[in-house]
Amino acid sequence: MSELRCVLPCNGLDKCAGDLSRRAALELAQSENAALICPVLLNQNRSRYEKVLADANLTVIDGCNTRCASKLAGDLELSINDKVNVSEVAKALEIKLGVDIQESDDNRAVVQAVLAKINSSAADQAESEFIEPEAVEYNSFSHGKFIFKVPQNNYFFNENDCWVTVSGKMARVGVSDYVQQNLSDILYVDPPEIGDEFEQFDDLGSIESSKAVFEIVSPVSGTVVAVNTSLNDAPEQVNESPYEKGWLVEVKLRDFSEDQDLLHDCPAYFEFLQRKVTEIDV
Amino acid sequence: MSESTFMGVERDRIDWSPRIDFTKCNDCMDCVKFCPHQVFDVDENAKPKLSVKNPNNCVVFCRACAKTCGPDAISFPDKPETTKMIKAIRKAEKEAAKNE
Repeated sequence: MSELRCVLPCNGLDKCAGDLSRRAALELAQSENAALICPVLLNQNRSRYEKVLADANLTVIDGCNTRCASKLAGDLELSINDKVNVSEVAKALEIKLGVDIQESDDNRAVVQAVLAKINSSAADQAESEFIEPEAVEYNSFSHGKFIFKVPQNNYFFNENDCWVTVSGKMARVGVSDYVQQNLSDILYVDPPEIGDEFEQFDDLGSIESSKAVFEIVSPVSGTVVAVNTSLNDAPEQVNESPYEKGWLVEVKLRDFSEDQDLLHDCPAYFEFLQRKVTEIDV
Repeated sequence: MSESTFMGVERDRIDWSPRIDFTKCNDCMDCVKFCPHQVFDVDENAKPKLSVKNPNNCVVFCRACAKTCGPDAISFPDKPETTKMIKAIRKAEKEAAKNE
């Protein structure tokens, strides 16, 4: 389901840019998830919009670079979720708006581009949230007294036994069941810094057991956006749930299709791991 | 063909192993104790005692021994360069397989 949105447009009724802001706002308001805010009434009586502002994300449409609508939102200390400037959109399309209000193909194209920009940034935001998979299903094999689990799908692995699972432009990184069994009881997780940019195969911190320190070799390139803080108090979650609760780092991906070239999917990693444990005495 | 590979590329074609700066090394042998893959070797009669005997045992992209090294005497090749090289070899092999 899409989020509720309220739209605060420019109120320049006497000029072309203002007219296009109004038209874009009216089109957005056709959707049942969007409410219009009249800038004049908002300025006069904010309480009239208190409820809609509390429930919905605010999109501001400025007509020109005077940015009256943005400034009004700023003066009232409203938090702006997204904003578009009609004049800048027109400039990017190399369309001259002029002053007079008129109906033309160029002007219709600007309105459509404004709408596309607003909708695509909403889609970007939806993608910038990591959505946890509902239930992960596993395949397993045994070697001696050990049983190794590998998810059936949606995970990718490097040959350093670190995994990544992707949700839109976001992903989570962790270590495989093999690593946690090899290390045995994880005592300490040393995470990377939030905001760190890293290349594929760079290290993303480490995990430590009484046996050894294991460096997390990143399966992807990107930026660290979060670390699993629940592991500070409960590092054993890496042992108990290496592919789910024991995730280590949340990242914004840079170029996953490029990274994928050097990653195994689940069945390939399953085979790789089977070979590996027979070669190395676990 | 060598048995050991990394992403399908023979291990001995990938230049990834520790480099020891003997002007910094203090013979503590922490790296030797740390590495479970017998990459290092110690010869008490040699000078220096420490050597990288089995570079191809080194896990590609692992730099953990460098982190255990107090005097910071261990370095590794550049990761992005190594990644690029592995990709180039894989690409060349794919092309070759296609042309067969």
